Amino acid sequence: MSPWLPVSAAQSRLQRFVNRSAQVALALLGFLPLGAIGLQCIASVWDAAAWEIFWHEALRSRLWLAAWGMTLWTGLASTLLAYGLCAWLVSHSFARPLWASSVRMLGPMLAVPHAAFAVGLVFLVSPSGWILRALSPWLTGFYQTPLWLTSQDPWGLGVIAVLLCKELPFLLWAVATQLQRDDASVRLLREMQAAQTMGYARRTAFFKVVWPQLAQRIRWPLFAVLAYGLTVVDVALIAGPSNPPTLSVLAWQLLQDSDTAQNTQGAIAGWVLAGTTAVAAAVWLALGSMPWMHARHVRGGRGGRGMHGSEASQGVAPARLHSVLTRGLVYFFLSIYLAVWAALLVGSVSGVWPFPALLPANWSLDAWQAVWGSSSTVGATLALALGSTVLAMLWSLAWLELAPSRWQHAARGMLYLPLLLPSVLWVVGLHQLALQLSLSASFTALLLAHSLAVLPYTMIVLSPAYQGFDVRYAMATASMGRSYAAFLLCVKWPLLRSALYAACAVGVAVSVAQYLPTLYVGEGRYTTVTTEAVNLASGGQRSLVAAYAWLQWFIPVVGFALAAWLGRPRHFKAAA
Amino acid sequence: MGLDIHIRHLNAAGKVLLRDWRVRCAPGQIVTLMGASGSGKSSLLAAVCGIAPPGIAFDGDVRLDGQNISHLSCAQRRIGMLFQDDLLFAHMTVRENLLFAVPAGPRTQRAQQVQRALDELGFSDMADRSPQTLSGGQRARVSLARTLLAQPRALLLDEPFSKLDAALREEYRAFIFSHARKLQLPTLLVTHDRADIADPAAVYQIPTLSAHSHAG
Repeated sequence: MSPWLPVSAAQSRLQRFVNRSAQVALALLGFLPLGAIGLQCIASVWDAAAWEIFWHEALRSRLWLAAWGMTLWTGLASTLLAYGLCAWLVSHSFARPLWASSVRMLGPMLAVPHAAFAVGLVFLVSPSGWILRALSPWLTGFYQTPLWLTSQDPWGLGVIAVLLCKELPFLLWAVATQLQRDDASVRLLREMQAAQTMGYARRTAFFKVVWPQLAQRIRWPLFAVLAYGLTVVDVALIAGPSNPPTLSVLAWQLLQDSDTAQNTQGAIAGWVLAGTTAVAAAVWLALGSMPWMHARHVRGGRGGRGMHGSEASQGVAPARLHSVLTRGLVYFFLSIYLAVWAALLVGSVSGVWPFPALLPANWSLDAWQAVWGSSSTVGATLALALGSTVLAMLWSLAWLELAPSRWQHAARGMLYLPLLLPSVLWVVGLHQLALQLSLSASFTALLLAHSLAVLPYTMIVLSPAYQGFDVRYAMATASMGRSYAAFLLCVKWPLLRSALYAACAVGVAVSVAQYLPTLYVGEGRYTTVTTEAVNLASGGQRSLVAAYAWLQWFIPVVGFALAAWLGRPRHFKAAA
Repeated sequence: MGLDIHIRHLNAAGKVLLRDWRVRCAPGQIVTLMGASGSGKSSLLAAVCGIAPPGIAFDGDVRLDGQNISHLSCAQRRIGMLFQDDLLFAHMTVRENLLFAVPAGPRTQRAQQVQRALDELGFSDMADRSPQTLSGGQRARVSLARTLLAQPRALLLDEPFSKLDAALREEYRAFIFSHARKLQLPTLLVTHDRADIADPAAVYQIPTLSAHSHAG
């Protein structure tokens, strides 16, 4: 309820009615499509015979089981590695200058779409990639490209590497948002210092006091990482194995089949992925709440080297070593991103490039001319990114401003449905809904599909800022006789402008990265830089792939740079 | 004349905080409201100001200078309110903070009003600085000036001294009370500290849940 409602009974009834009507309309506008898509996802597999065929095939064919196994391996390994490294990095950088400098680097890293990063990493590690070129022939003795499986390797290591490099910054960002508020970070620091005064070493104190609290708060981002890792399609298409592929790729292949029975099998595979994600998340939760986990934690605290072990007992040398390792790890990930960026840039302007030359024999702008020639691709990318971001921002702001907090709390799960459901399943629901509304293959459908994908992210960025906003500003403004509009335009939004611009930048980045919805809902009629980059990655002209991937990176980076510039703190006259 | 509040009931989160309770405050008079934590002091001020935070239900009459203003919105009531924190807008300069509160009018006239306030505070040289660069006492004064520039007809003080140190507290208290008296503003002060009481004859104890009668 808005704090401007007068307290008098007569007028408040009318105002309450108007308010409630707006709230209901807003809820319907946002949640009706989400609910309808969810129902379509269920309806698409409402066929007992299809399930029978699925189980029969799944149990009979080794392909299904192998694909499911590959999905589990790549999804779980990448999530656990990202989580472990995140905890390790935060434990060594919390409340230290390294943390602030690391957080500053996260924006550009997060701006990189997964697919663009995957293309760049493949350029680096493939048998004709930069790494091998740099080592050849002086170290390897290779004068020709070796027949190695360093990209699209059968062990799924390429997918794991891409996901690790992309999800680690996301988890660090999730931690950073929790520490953003000074009161929260200061409280955690004091609690850790209190533990240190009780004789615990810094790192032990961190893992006993700070991390359990942070881990609880980044649970949802972690589940998003897990869900993404288990269900990603574009990264698996670029860097993943093909025999067996991951289950999401198999599902995607079935969904593209002209046979509708095969499409149903693809949708069922989407549900299997959803079930796998739910079970994995439940196991994670259950393990976290097991008494023996805590008991072990406490037991560890009493003896041994880590526990109650002071800094002195742990030794100064290991502490220094950890510090060097932490810095090394931060610079390692940063250098990977820079190398990927450079590989894409050089790749996009390369002409003839014989192995093992480190740089192309000649340079060419052919790829960029081709990109320029397909201006409709770039135009569609920008139109979808800007349009969907505007729609998602309008709804998010209206929802956060008008919806009662208990509605917001209750609807949170539904709002994050596009993040929690596998993308192969989500696009089936989207497509079915578009078909029923006679919007299929239209730009309107595509715009709405992108908006629904962007919405959870704008809410993730805006919600903490809104929740942390001091409501007394509203009371103070109203008591000065200023209107609600004046409060929003002159006080609240300017104070939250950094979060507002960040949400816009995230929205643009999410929209640009959309692959499956663009292809499936647009029925191939609309191309974006992402669909071009991913489709060309499996055998297209190398320089053209690099150009599209670089553009896929460049657009969000421009968005984040603009957001940082527009949301920068105001420069005031210095004190005399 | 002055502020006359009659509360039929004030509920917070389904709990009755006050029932059939009355308080009067003459122009220039500073009435102190005291009570236990959770007794509804701050909710009462919010309700008088015309703000209904979520979970607060208020039924009663608020009369200002004889006029029933219960049906007016907070922005229309023109009741100034000061909080524990100064709540200066961090993205505005000191001057812009003050200008924000001045009612609509010719631009130069508004700017002159702000300049007069700055001169009176002795803050002219700080006008274009961020409020974050001011000391606690300076910020508190700017906050009061901002509230008064909105030309309120009454003043509500929600523990505005509680976060100031002892010396500053006394100085700021005298500063607020002198302005409230000079401008003849009926003023309600909520506090826990008896040292804050301006007029010992005008202290109201907010009754606890069990005692619904009015005290004075």
